Amino acid sequence: MSEQLGEYRKIAVLGGVYSNWLALEATLADARARGVEAVFCLGDMGGFGPHPDRVFPLLREHGVLGIQGNYDESLASGHTDCGCGYTDPRDNHYAAISYRYTFDNTSTENKAWLGALPRHRRLKLGPHRVLMCHGSPRVINEFLWESATPNGLLRHLLDRAEADVMLCTHTGIKWHRALPDARHAVNVGVIGRPENDGRTNVWYTVLTAGTDLEVEFVPVRYDHEALAREMERERLPPEFAETIRTGWWTTCLEILPARERARGKY
Amino acid sequence: MTPPLLAPARAASVPQAPFLGLTALWIQITGTWCNLECRHCLNASGPRAPWLKPLDAETIRRAIAEAESLGVKEIYFTGGEPFLHGEILALIERALEVAPTTVLTNGTLIDAARADALAAVAARAAYSLEIRVSLDDPDPSCNDAVRGEGAWAKAVEAVRLLHARGLLPIVTATEIASEAGPAAGGLHARFRDFLQAQGVDRPRLKFMPVFAMGRQPASGETPLTDEDLEGFERSTLQCADARVVAAGGVYACPILAGLPGARLSRGSLVDSFRAAPLYHPACVTCHRTGMTCRNS
Repeated sequence: MSEQLGEYRKIAVLGGVYSNWLALEATLADARARGVEAVFCLGDMGGFGPHPDRVFPLLREHGVLGIQGNYDESLASGHTDCGCGYTDPRDNHYAAISYRYTFDNTSTENKAWLGALPRHRRLKLGPHRVLMCHGSPRVINEFLWESATPNGLLRHLLDRAEADVMLCTHTGIKWHRALPDARHAVNVGVIGRPENDGRTNVWYTVLTAGTDLEVEFVPVRYDHEALAREMERERLPPEFAETIRTGWWTTCLEILPARERARGKY
Repeated sequence: MTPPLLAPARAASVPQAPFLGLTALWIQITGTWCNLECRHCLNASGPRAPWLKPLDAETIRRAIAEAESLGVKEIYFTGGEPFLHGEILALIERALEVAPTTVLTNGTLIDAARADALAAVAARAAYSLEIRVSLDDPDPSCNDAVRGEGAWAKAVEAVRLLHARGLLPIVTATEIASEAGPAAGGLHARFRDFLQAQGVDRPRLKFMPVFAMGRQPASGETPLTDEDLEGFERSTLQCADARVVAAGGVYACPILAGLPGARLSRGSLVDSFRAAPLYHPACVTCHRTGMTCRNS
């Protein structure tokens, strides 16, 4: 299921809200202040954070154009697993806690809304044909890490998608690759949790059309302490709140390639 | 209604896994040539006259170049013991120009100088280098009963050396030494605790089932039938998006490399892009456990 949209000059694209409604509020305010024409979200509205239903009014009120992530697909379909793609037992232990909490605290109406989202979106950004996906164009939960995504694969995916620019998320860490043939791949990052660099801010991406594509990663500061306290009140694992407070990932680490893992604390 | 005299004939055809595209290229670089002779080795690798010959560097370079043009996502070197190959470092470096690369090793040939060389290659590379070191139990005697005298000490030293250089090796274990069966949870915790006690503060682990083949006694299990696979998503099998270059051609999966029944091409990778026959009892293990030889 994909959807053909119109033409734009400047857009904001965010990924992985993970129920972080405070970061979502701050991100939307920042994006509007930058004069973007539209805001897109590449999926995974829930998971990890508290009070999953708080993100949906914000997404609707601001007209955010979403696509489905694996979490959204699982919630909408009533699956018992988030479909995150972890293989390690410790990663899966925390993923299961997070998914159960999110499933139990997401309304039927919001699950149905997630179920109606498209899997991909296409648009024109100036002359550039853009494909938006969650993990990769071929698999919703494929991890495309910077150190583990070769140029040959990107060319292959862009060829098959008939696109000049591919935008994805899912891993939680942003990156941008300009290929020698002037095509681009951008992992837009996530706003749900910091990116394992010891800083508490989160990131989204502003893309501006020109003869070449301009890609700007935007840091967003928000009241992370308030979010951490909400997580504690909801009895989410203390390891989750620690990540919000410190900027270091404490869970879901085993899926990281060596290079990204070496940059973190754990 | 009279029951039929004969039961319906079982489908005579071998079930197949579809091919979706090349995600993982495996290179059986040393064939079944190894300096160890592990009791559970699935392809019976060892130090004497390997039944599957090592590959020459030119064949490997050709396969890597072809894989790049086909959009490969990751490259793996396995064997045998890859560090017995005289050109292994140069070939790892070449592979890393194309894709993130993993080497599966028993660790016994990684000393400080080799760990330094690997760290230098990793630092220069565009993509991640992963080293997977096999260790079957945190206890030396349990491990060496399976892998041979002295294997534990050398493998643990390799893990320490690599970790100290920031390469963060993935310790790969089967459940054979602990006799723990499917209780991977307990084994997982034991390995984590053990590695942390060794100063490996970011322990990375992968567990594999034991395959009833190679040096292990055959299970006598009946190969899969289409009936067994009803309702099962065959595209989740690793032969749906992996291919193995080994002596004699291109094979469907790393477990079956070198076996004529698993050979899909005698030449190019692209010629092997067709459905793989799920003919071997090992396919039952993949189907039952959902295992993959990939890192994750």
